[in-house]
Amino acid sequence: MQTERLKTLAISDSGFIFDPSSGDTFNTNDTGVHIINLLKQGKDFNELMDVFIDEYEVSEDELEADLLDYIQTLKNYHMI
Amino acid sequence: MITVAVSGINAADNPGPGVGIIRSLKESSLNVRTIGLAYDAMEPGIYIDQFVDKSYIMPYPSGDVKSFIERLQYIHSIENLNVIVSTLDAELPVFMDIEPELARNGIYMLIPTKKMFALRNKGKLKELGESINVKTPKYISCTSYDDLVHATEEISFPCMIKGPFYEAFKAHNLAEAEGFFNKLAAKWGFPIIAQQFVKGQEYDVIGCGDGTGQNMGLFAIKKMTTTALGKVWNAVSIKNDLLLDACNRLLKHLSWRGGFEFEVLIEEQTGDIYLLEINPRFPAWVYMSAACGINLPERMVQFLMDMPYDTHSDYSSGKIMIRYTNEILKDISDFEKISAYGELENNQLEVS
Repeated sequence: MQTERLKTLAISDSGFIFDPSSGDTFNTNDTGVHIINLLKQGKDFNELMDVFIDEYEVSEDELEADLLDYIQTLKNYHMI
Repeated sequence: MITVAVSGINAADNPGPGVGIIRSLKESSLNVRTIGLAYDAMEPGIYIDQFVDKSYIMPYPSGDVKSFIERLQYIHSIENLNVIVSTLDAELPVFMDIEPELARNGIYMLIPTKKMFALRNKGKLKELGESINVKTPKYISCTSYDDLVHATEEISFPCMIKGPFYEAFKAHNLAEAEGFFNKLAAKWGFPIIAQQFVKGQEYDVIGCGDGTGQNMGLFAIKKMTTTALGKVWNAVSIKNDLLLDACNRLLKHLSWRGGFEFEVLIEEQTGDIYLLEINPRFPAWVYMSAACGINLPERMVQFLMDMPYDTHSDYSSGKIMIRYTNEILKDISDFEKISAYGELENNQLEVS
């Protein structure tokens, strides 16, 4: 996963995201901030699954679907 | 004390850049006296006494050039001008003609040559874009209804229908295009431009070229909101290397001399940069660059006065500019002075 662009984003604790190269702004929730920060650290999809399966009461299928959805959203906004 | 005359002090709903330039100079390291060159007694800059020290009414540059020069000579005889910053497209051809004469009188300007001015003309944008490896949206100039029909057939819908100076509308079919064509022609005249619609966001880079291909600093924004005439109302500072590189290629290609605004669109899907327009002057929002540490008007004056000047482009991204409207109250006698005598002193020059 290409995360160079993600690493340039300014992300506040509240989930407000500013892309300094495009000027675009976004809002995400705490879970979104957590995912983005893990991606910035270089974690891959399986490692994200491992982190969140421990933290949330969720089935593996449901978590996989939600994570894929979120990653697709990041792709749609050209963040990854 | 450096005395700088600046035009375009019409800080109205379609603002000229003059007040922003003067504010930048007043907040700079320079000890500067600012002279506003106005074309109408109701230009707000005339009355903004914290920035504009004195204003003079000018004859229109499109009229008798001799009167224009004589008026400048009169102002110079009183103010001993060092620099003139021209901010209006309509003035530039006149100033290009008289710049050598002004320089002989000790008044310096940093403006493009006629050749540079012609190369950035809207009609030559495609060639210019190709020279600097930047795309341009396909566009066709129209001076008749027939032209419009042929242009829209070639460009297809949706397309943008643009006035020669301001305003642009997105047309989805010929009926809409015809309506916008008539509206714009009645308001602004010809030619009307039919332009390919490119989905994306608009960005600006401003700077100042020294005439050798080097810049005196660059500053980039994303337009957050614009007025009905397409003027920037809110903006956020950004750092985008691709944009700055494209701008530097332009400066080198033209050996640009003076302030400029490089207007582009970045296509949403591809991230490709499309060149929309090059304005041969600072824009109305130029103060934003000064407030972010890239004081282009200050650097221009320092360059002209053979003073050391910064050339860095080190500024923070994520600073937003919020433009707002305001009111000032003045006595009717001020209006009398500017309308009857053609000049208004806000801040008397102290004579020691």
